[in-house]
Amino acid sequence: MSELLTQLSYCVEFGKIDKASPYPPNLKGQEGADEIARRALDEGIKPDEILDKALIPAMAIVGDKFTKKIIYVPQMLMAAKAMSSAMKHLKPYFQSGETKRKGKFIIGTVSGDLHDIGKNLVAMMIEGAGWEIIDLGVDVNTDKFLKAINDNPGAVVGLSALLTTTMEHMKKTVEAIKGNYSGVTTLVGGAPVTMDYCLKIGADFYSPDPQGAVNYLNQFALK
Amino acid sequence: MTGKTFQFEFRDLNINVDNIERAMGYPEGESHEAIYDIVVKVMKQVEAICDLKAEYRIFNDISYDDANRRITVQRTVLNTGKIIYRQIKKSDALALFVCTAGREIEERSRTAMRESDVLEGYIYDIIGSAAVEATAELMQDELEHFMKSSDLKISNRFSPGYCGWDVAEQHKLFGLIPDNYCAISLTSSALMDPVKSVSGIIGIGPDLKRQASTCRFCDMKDCLYRRQD
Ligand code: B12
Repeated sequence: MSELLTQLSYCVEFGKIDKASPYPPNLKGQEGADEIARRALDEGIKPDEILDKALIPAMAIVGDKFTKKIIYVPQMLMAAKAMSSAMKHLKPYFQSGETKRKGKFIIGTVSGDLHDIGKNLVAMMIEGAGWEIIDLGVDVNTDKFLKAINDNPGAVVGLSALLTTTMEHMKKTVEAIKGNYSGVTTLVGGAPVTMDYCLKIGADFYSPDPQGAVNYLNQFALK
Repeated sequence: MTGKTFQFEFRDLNINVDNIERAMGYPEGESHEAIYDIVVKVMKQVEAICDLKAEYRIFNDISYDDANRRITVQRTVLNTGKIIYRQIKKSDALALFVCTAGREIEERSRTAMRESDVLEGYIYDIIGSAAVEATAELMQDELEHFMKSSDLKISNRFSPGYCGWDVAEQHKLFGLIPDNYCAISLTSSALMDPVKSVSGIIGIGPDLKRQASTCRFCDMKDCLYRRQD
């Protein structure tokens, strides 16, 4: 693999965003994910390769380290930030269709619930795994979920809830999704949610953390 | 019925970077240089923007139904579940409380996240949660101190949504303190607005004991925040 891609991967794993970012200390003053991604493209490395050989594998290591409690949420977020600083250079290729993502992932916190930290973490890690994210925000009612599914055929849907009361809305939304679009895959999560609850409401998968969701989603990847 | 309201300053809370690192999951003694600096920066901001308010109201008109483990406060029946019932059934009076760290913190958190500084947004969120928890702790200290003068003790504080007490029972609690000083409103799904708010009850009586933490009563065994004491 090209030396540049190895460097890029390292920058993402350790949250080196750009030249100005002081961490990690051993890379102080050196280029970060932002500059290296630009340079890689300028040197003719294919955007697909940047995504598949540097960015996605780096984020997979980050997710794995988080699950194993080697790193914690803040470092995961630094990595995600480095990843997006590289991704912005790939945007034009996504738009033109030259580079494809693994699929679309619609995510939202269910109706009546305003918590978004957990949802945002999941969205970022799934984006880091190569998916396009459609973030509907918080307090998302069933109609909004249904409309997003209608507008994005083939997308997978994630629902988040933090209270047992709002978890009830998760049930209503999942039922409506399954009733209207039986083929759509739904993932659920949030502090009070369990695998039992997931199965009871007819959702397809539950994960207590983002990495579990990423691993599950990988089987649906388009490429 | 008596009650008291409080407005605290952030520095009263004794929150330090170490506390915040623990709340973000880092084990004792483990830290991260980059994160440390951001926590310090955000904490300064929170100090300026938080609005730490608390209120308790003491109800003497209470009765117990042992068979069904229900507590009646004035005319409101609380189904606290057996764990909490056991802890407070010896109370002569109950303090109902609400606390908040204000709305600004979550707005800052959202803005930072939207402007793609997710890490900073997350740290705002964590500090906001720590601030409201510490506010509740301070209010509880004040209550304990106040009761001591009448030779009364207090229990731990218990919140709807914990230890088997249905979170929807918050509606009853807010029904008993409708015009609360903290100006917290409750949505139909029992979510408090502002989000960085806590509600609950504390028992008052001669034979009660305030334990170091309520974690021992809780059934969320692998909670990140579980305390061993
Ligand atoms: C910190 C905290 C608070 C903070 C604020 C939380 C916040 N985010 O703003 C404060 C102190 C204010 C608070 C207050 C209350 N809390 Co609270 N709180 C917690 C605590 C300890 C951590 C929550 C948290 O922020 N975690 C960090 C984030 C990043 O994690 P997360 O949101 O869970 O997301 C992760 C996973 O769940 C997953 N995930 C999330 N969404 C999705 C979606 C998909 C598709 C997938 C795959 C995965 C996934 O991935 C994320 C990253 O790992 C939890 C217990 C716990 N250990 O979880 C209780 C908890 C959420 N609280 C609870 C309760 C009851 C309350 C109160 C109602 C108590 C009260 N009466 O005062 C209030 C309500 C506040 C309100 N506004 O209405 C209950 C909720 C369950 C219930 N009974 O309804 C919990 C679960 C504790 C318990 N009893 O077990 N709380």
